[in-house]
Amino acid sequence: MRTRTRALIAVAIGLHLILLFAGSIAPSDPAAQSRRLPYAPPNRLHFRGADGWNVRPFVYRMVPGPDGYEEDRTQQFPLHFLVRGPAYQILGLVRSEWHLFGVDEPGQIALFGTDGFGRDEFSRVLYGGQISVAAGIAATLIALCAGTVVGLLAGFYGRWIDESLMAGSELFLSLPWLYFLLGVRAFLPLHLSPVRTFFLLTGVIGVIGWARPARLVRGIVLSVRSRNFVLAAQGFGASDIYIIRRHILPEVFAVLLTQAALLVPRYIAAEVTLSFFGLGVSEPVSSWGNMLSALQQYSVLVSYGWLLAPIGALVITSVIYALLAETLHSHLEFHST
Amino acid sequence: MKAITRLTLLVCLLAAVCFAAVSPDKPQPGEELARSSETTGHYGGHVTIGGRAEPKTLNPVMATDAVSREVTGRLMADLIDINRATQQTEPALAKSWKISPDGRTFTLQLRKGIRFSDGHPFDADDVVFTFAVYMDEKVDAPQRDLLIIDGKPITVTKEDRYTVRFALPRPYASAERLFDGLAMLPKHLLEKPFHDGKFAEAWSLNTAPSDIAGLGAFRLKQYVPGQKVVLERNPYYWKVDRENARLPYLDELVFLFVGTEDSQVMRFESGDTDLISRLSSDNFTLLHREHDRTHAQLVDLGASLEYNFLLFNQNDLGAKKLDAVSQKQKWFRDLKFRQAVSAAIDRESIVRLVYGTRGSALWGNVGPGNKFWINNSLPHPARSLETSRQLLKSAGFSWNKSNALMDPAGQVVEFSIITSSSNTQRMKMATLIQDDLSQLGMQVHVVPLEFRALIDRVFQSFDYEAAVMGLGGGDADPNPEMNVWLSSGTSHLWHLNETAPATDWEREVDQLMQQQMVTLDYAKRKKLYDRVQELVSQQLPFIFLATPNALAAANPRVGNFHPAVLEPNTLWNADELYIRNATETAGAR
Amino acid sequence: MKFLLRRLIRAVLLMAGVSVLCFLFTEMAPGSFFDEMRLNPQISPETIASLRLRYGLDQPLVTRYLHWVKGAVHADFGYSIAYNSPVAPLLWERAKNTLLLTTVGMAFTWALSLPIGIWSASRHDRLLDRVVNAGTSLLISIPEVVIGLTLLAIVVRWRILPVGGIHSLESDGLSRGARVLDTVRHLVLPVTALVLLETSIIVRHVRTSVVEALQHPAIDAARGFGIPRLRLLWRHVLPLAASPVISLFGFSLAGLISGSLLVEVICGWPGLGPLILDATLSRDLSVVIGGTMLSAVFMVAGNLVADLMLLASDPRIRIEEADAH
Repeated sequence: MRTRTRALIAVAIGLHLILLFAGSIAPSDPAAQSRRLPYAPPNRLHFRGADGWNVRPFVYRMVPGPDGYEEDRTQQFPLHFLVRGPAYQILGLVRSEWHLFGVDEPGQIALFGTDGFGRDEFSRVLYGGQISVAAGIAATLIALCAGTVVGLLAGFYGRWIDESLMAGSELFLSLPWLYFLLGVRAFLPLHLSPVRTFFLLTGVIGVIGWARPARLVRGIVLSVRSRNFVLAAQGFGASDIYIIRRHILPEVFAVLLTQAALLVPRYIAAEVTLSFFGLGVSEPVSSWGNMLSALQQYSVLVSYGWLLAPIGALVITSVIYALLAETLHSHLEFHST
Repeated sequence: MKAITRLTLLVCLLAAVCFAAVSPDKPQPGEELARSSETTGHYGGHVTIGGRAEPKTLNPVMATDAVSREVTGRLMADLIDINRATQQTEPALAKSWKISPDGRTFTLQLRKGIRFSDGHPFDADDVVFTFAVYMDEKVDAPQRDLLIIDGKPITVTKEDRYTVRFALPRPYASAERLFDGLAMLPKHLLEKPFHDGKFAEAWSLNTAPSDIAGLGAFRLKQYVPGQKVVLERNPYYWKVDRENARLPYLDELVFLFVGTEDSQVMRFESGDTDLISRLSSDNFTLLHREHDRTHAQLVDLGASLEYNFLLFNQNDLGAKKLDAVSQKQKWFRDLKFRQAVSAAIDRESIVRLVYGTRGSALWGNVGPGNKFWINNSLPHPARSLETSRQLLKSAGFSWNKSNALMDPAGQVVEFSIITSSSNTQRMKMATLIQDDLSQLGMQVHVVPLEFRALIDRVFQSFDYEAAVMGLGGGDADPNPEMNVWLSSGTSHLWHLNETAPATDWEREVDQLMQQQMVTLDYAKRKKLYDRVQELVSQQLPFIFLATPNALAAANPRVGNFHPAVLEPNTLWNADELYIRNATETAGAR
Repeated sequence: MKFLLRRLIRAVLLMAGVSVLCFLFTEMAPGSFFDEMRLNPQISPETIASLRLRYGLDQPLVTRYLHWVKGAVHADFGYSIAYNSPVAPLLWERAKNTLLLTTVGMAFTWALSLPIGIWSASRHDRLLDRVVNAGTSLLISIPEVVIGLTLLAIVVRWRILPVGGIHSLESDGLSRGARVLDTVRHLVLPVTALVLLETSIIVRHVRTSVVEALQHPAIDAARGFGIPRLRLLWRHVLPLAASPVISLFGFSLAGLISGSLLVEVICGWPGLGPLILDATLSRDLSVVIGGTMLSAVFMVAGNLVADLMLLASDPRIRIEEADAH
């Protein structure tokens, strides 16, 4: 593998590790409200204070001022690394209290500022990434599995099934999805924990998205099926399952992998869009979607620029996935044929 | 003259005719006109106001949504008006009235010589016709419910050309306030559709302007679907200013369909619109920051009449199979539980974080914005988690090892709060309450629901546990709130469909409300209503949260801008608004 | 001919299916149009009930559906409770605005995407291609709402363009030319949003199909024959690359009504989008169903046109179809 590919895969793994260990990297509990500090701008890291230059960076407390917030220069809160802080769980299994960095009480470090409840935006972006990226990946898996099954059926069993499945996908795309989604939310029991809402969300996105992968898989099946060696195999009495397993799936797999890398960022974006309609994960759990939906308010959008942080995170994630898709595509294409 | 020149002249003439504003008719002798006491302005110009949606109809009887009512309100006039600034009644189309000693008969004297916007004279026949329409069962006017007291309708009779008599089935306090908003309809235009049974279809948006006539300050000029409604001056309007010049000053009033409040703020900032009413505090703060550039007139009127509350489901769920909810109702029905919740809620943070300090905390249904009816002796307990814990302990609740709250039976206290996803303020309140109650060990889920889904659950299926909602804002008088506090009322949200009062205090409230409805003396009514407020804030059927301030903004060139707490906040004196010229605008800054 | 017939039958069946599902879906969302009145303590439930009766909201689903079908056959698509007017003229008025926006958007999109896509593909893997690839990937992964809001914030902040509506207030008095210019100024914001969104998708597809076509053995052969570059591109590569691009064009056509909903809502363009969204939220069912059927018609028609164009342009498909029968 070329170095560039290796570097890219390392970066992608790095991104996912950061999200996995969001609890360790985030200095605060994402649900902890600081009601005295709503919409505070990001803390600036200083090296030079009243006592001159420090090796260790520090922050000042934000206090309400005449024109928003200002720094309270009476006390310096140096940044410490590997500190104990609010408890969290990694993957819901391992409990820990260690954080990468933090400041002593009563200081608070908000690298990306705070939101309307005074919650640390930086921590929320990290924890939110867990939800959003996981939703994207889960939805992609659902869409691809469903799409593959449909595509295989359509491509393999030909005419009528093919026609009806393709017409079905057209039908699917013409329906008033907004209504359906509104209806779905209203039907759900009120006791849905954020976790279950999350699974429902991914299910919905995945289910709506099966049409394109289905078409792709169908195309592959059709082309592979007519190849000579497959006809030969059939002549030798190979069953359908054998042909699917041995000849079609490997080809499909390559394409699906590329599709996956393309779809994940798109489904993360879908989660954002659904959150805008109030159909996303509910408070106090954060996801990039529900953090951005606060920006629907014009006054928030123009006054508190630091709340756009999830967009930056979204863009970085999308770029990494897109480059990954590029690399996979050329890599696999190079190796097939 | 050359053909071209003649043609140009003709075109110019036509243009002048088309684009000229309608000038007001000079006050005629024999016209009894009302006089405004506002600052004198001058004629000309137009004011644009942004609307959240399109109006759905121009028929004042069928208009139920806020935008349609805003438009029809400018086209129509009523017999007695509630002055939004003073919150008291004043003569409108009725120049005076006499109330019989038993309070059951109103005799109104109409102004003479008044004409509709198409020039047709107005008299008692129109009034009788109007009320016939409102009371007609086939028309199904929402206003009909207002005119039925105790199941019996108000009757209207014509005494002579300019005198009308109203007979109430029984005395009704502040009955004159009923007349506000009941638009007088032109018999000469609407009689035929009414008799044909097609009244509901009359005056839809596609109606030609010449087929619509009213007594309001403006008449319809143009409707562009999806974009705007343009109203022009009514040349026969029955009000004059201090110098006897006929109102309104404005040539045109334009309603622009802008959409959400955010779009409205954007259009206002870019100068497309001139007025905004019902601003949220976030947008008000934003406009405040831009003030140096725009010099907009920003008005903070103090507390409004809206009250927001946390509601617990105490409905009878017998027939419906809602076991999960009914299990929790034993908590909700326990007064100490509700008191504990109320004591734990950080109202000060709600006012600060949700309303940006432009609001007031509430402990009862009447807030400081309602100066005439507020019971000022009610206690305003500060937030105290300690008090909450004591109350819960005395009610048999306890905490387990992981600090979760358990009821006397050992069940963990967990419930959900539903709220409208389109209302950011109430969503924020719900999130703050969730955090507050988590400090008591209660596990609360915030569930944003689409507005109609919320209404369905609260009014129909009762499939909810708690909700954050808001009511109020209509009028300061207690009577419109009857349906909320009467145990049989249709807005008795925490316990709908009661056949008899479920508790002693509800019985007392029933009696008090019925009594105040027929008590004509203000001081006596106030005492009765004070007691109602006391009971409500003690028994906590709603846990009151906060009320926003009434905020409005206008372009600096709009003169006589006097927004009010009651709706329509900025347009109630549309007839007195005028466009300042440059010197006046500079002087006003 | 047979092909056309088959597709037409399929289209009709599809429309029927959409209408049934539409009714089912609208049934699912709880609440009805008059619910808002319940919050007003001064309106009695009896009034609300009789209003519901008058508009037939309490009838069973099947009855309402059959009623609608009967009406649809006579070109009567129901009655809007909110606007108190028949649905068809209401929709048509807005559809005109939407079509204005989307056709202008589509024209710009394709005018930009084709050259960029082809050029990028011809410089495959070089700097231009990389930049185009990166740019489009970025645009695709940013949600539409975010792009719309960002553009809106920029426009409002710097006050360069009007926000919302088709005409300015004073437009009635302007000359014809000035009116057109005014409309153009109002179009800039929503068209930019649409173009940004759609171009990224189409450029990628055009690029992919041209790249694949370039790698086709036939092109290698042609190159071997010494055919000059430009002629190679025009006469040999493009016809090969045409099929997927043509079906994409069909998709664009299909999306003429429905594709701009979010942009219209965000930018305040008075088209079908805000109308249908508002009708959805206020449960004005006839408008929702009418609007959905209208967009379904366009979708089906667009796909049909795409298939026909494919048939006309790609001889392979003609033969395949002929073979199949």
